[in-house]
Amino acid sequence: MNSGLRLLLVDDNPADIGLAREALAESAHHSEITSLENGTDAIAFLNRGGKYADAVLPDLVILDLSLPGCNGMTILETIKTGPQLRRIPVVMFSTSRLSRDIVRCYELGASCYISKPGNLNDYLSAVKSIENFWCGFACLPPKGE
Amino acid sequence: MSSVATQLATKLPAEPKAKLCALVLEDNQLDAELVLRALRQGGFEVTGAVVQDEAGFTKALHANPPEIVLADYNLPNWTGMEALNVLRREALDIPMILVSGALGDVTAVECIKRGVTDYVLKDGLARLPDVVRRALREKLERSLRHQVEEDLAKKMDELARSNSDLEQFAYVASHDLQEPLRMVAAYTQLLAERYRGKLDADADKFIGYASEGALRMQVLIQDLLAFSRVGRSGTPMANVDCNAVMQEILQTLASPIRESGAVVTCDTLPTVWADRTQIVQLFQNLIGNAIKFRGNQPPAISVKSERQDGKRLFTFRDNGIGIPEESLENIFVVFQRLHARTEYPGNGIGLSICKKIVERAGGRIWVESKVGSGSTFKFTLPLQTADETERTKP
Amino acid sequence: MSSEEVDILLVDDSQDDVDLTLHALRSENLANHVFIARDGEEALDFIFCSGPHAHRSFDHPPKLVLLDLKMPKVDGLQVLKQIKDDARTKTIPVVLMTSSREERDMVSGYNLGVNSYLQKPVDFGNFREMVKLLGLYWLVTNQPPVANGKTQTAKQGQ
Repeated sequence: MNSGLRLLLVDDNPADIGLAREALAESAHHSEITSLENGTDAIAFLNRGGKYADAVLPDLVILDLSLPGCNGMTILETIKTGPQLRRIPVVMFSTSRLSRDIVRCYELGASCYISKPGNLNDYLSAVKSIENFWCGFACLPPKGE
Repeated sequence: MSSVATQLATKLPAEPKAKLCALVLEDNQLDAELVLRALRQGGFEVTGAVVQDEAGFTKALHANPPEIVLADYNLPNWTGMEALNVLRREALDIPMILVSGALGDVTAVECIKRGVTDYVLKDGLARLPDVVRRALREKLERSLRHQVEEDLAKKMDELARSNSDLEQFAYVASHDLQEPLRMVAAYTQLLAERYRGKLDADADKFIGYASEGALRMQVLIQDLLAFSRVGRSGTPMANVDCNAVMQEILQTLASPIRESGAVVTCDTLPTVWADRTQIVQLFQNLIGNAIKFRGNQPPAISVKSERQDGKRLFTFRDNGIGIPEESLENIFVVFQRLHARTEYPGNGIGLSICKKIVERAGGRIWVESKVGSGSTFKFTLPLQTADETERTKP
Repeated sequence: MSSEEVDILLVDDSQDDVDLTLHALRSENLANHVFIARDGEEALDFIFCSGPHAHRSFDHPPKLVLLDLKMPKVDGLQVLKQIKDDARTKTIPVVLMTSSREERDMVSGYNLGVNSYLQKPVDFGNFREMVKLLGLYWLVTNQPPVANGKTQTAKQGQ
């Protein structure tokens, strides 16, 4: 359905980003993956500031909660309050299973919340499910106003 | 005669004199002397002061705090009761004895109600030493009791704080350990998958051990998290229908039940007052164990319930391998395992979680067992708070 | 429906689409707690615990609302807006599933805060496939906001 989509993956653990890239390596959707390891860079990227002046806005954001720089909730809020950014679906992908974290993310406008599974196969499956649903079935909004 | 008496008197051991620091509030010097003499004759070695008014009283109180106050009822510009107020105001727990001339019974009782420890009439001073002794003894008992209560409260606080610290620690440790653990587990598995047979035999073995270690750690962490969660569960206590719980568990354990050919028979179970999530966990652990620790025959598990002393006694009986007598006590201890990991999997935390859950609900759990003849786990839970008359079965 | 727990609120006025959806959900064992509303008004009564659904409580929202766009009485975008505008209900995941191919409907949906927007495939096979995947994603993979985790009451975390 959608091919050549841009995914922005924000996670402070390069090992987890590595796993996500593994999971999506053979995806039929050929999404382009940009990964950022801290919150400050993510905000700069989304605002196309500084070294990210040439950045292209992503079609989907997969966002971890615990990040150095500026944390996941702040990034989520930035996206969902920005006039150009707020339509981008944000998938929370985090180890936190605290209900207050989950509820807060929904309140701030996250589309969904996926808990990072502990074992390898479940982790790869989860990432594949996320990509498959959003890139294969869901209609993603056109960018810009 | 008198010299013999004197000799006897000097040879006999004198009664030890008790030291007493007393503050006497009396404006009449003679009366004050009589009080002091009565005390000495009663076996006290008296130190302290005699004062006549408020200024003198307050000064002496601070200069040399007495163990006891002996006060006249009426003074020229003050009263014994006002002296009592001073003691109150300064929050001093010093017993006060009123020593007075004629004092009507009603007034005397009034004074005692207001906090005077006792009163003695000036023409009955022979009683005074005993009265003083009694007052001092009561004061001692009072402070001992306070001390014990304070110590107990402090210990309870420390215990609560320590438990909460421990649980907090267990939670944080296990939660924060999950991420680096996932890194090790996931990547050793990827290594194993991608490089199996491509490096040498040793490499395969090493990667295997690393993977296995990581996976075991992951399970351990999850068990620790579960254990630490028992005390912090946010689920409120409520009436829990144990039959519905059993149905749920038979669904959840459908696979192991089918694979082992297990048969679970269950009485009609009551409703209890508990945390539902934990009751599910409790029943599931017990039934899971009964299936896991089976002998050569398919597991036969029976679940019964009866009233006992205003509580509900549950009995989970199985025909599994049983537990040796020397282990019956320890079996509920965290990480206590009786078998090698290769014989039966698991960390040995399941039963300690069961014990924590039962005790948190206000019950008790124990086991009766014999090697080769299966085990019977018994535990008590409080009855439901709502209508109990519908439960006609014993 | 004896239990309070409803997993999916399916809002669609087309009987065919409802049947197909239920069939697909059933094949993944996800159809046990589905409530069907035939129009926007009934959907709103259900979500806001009013009218014939006054016995319902805000503490047990559905885990997912599957919402069609074009419906009588109150249309999908209206329902979406009311759900997302109210603090008591805004965290409920809402997925618009519509035959509309109008891009502006999709844009409106996302502007109103829809969690996801899908176009119903014309082909039955693809439709079933989509519903299965959707059901699995939103009910199994996804963590819905927990029923008793309302931030006002500041319940202890797990």
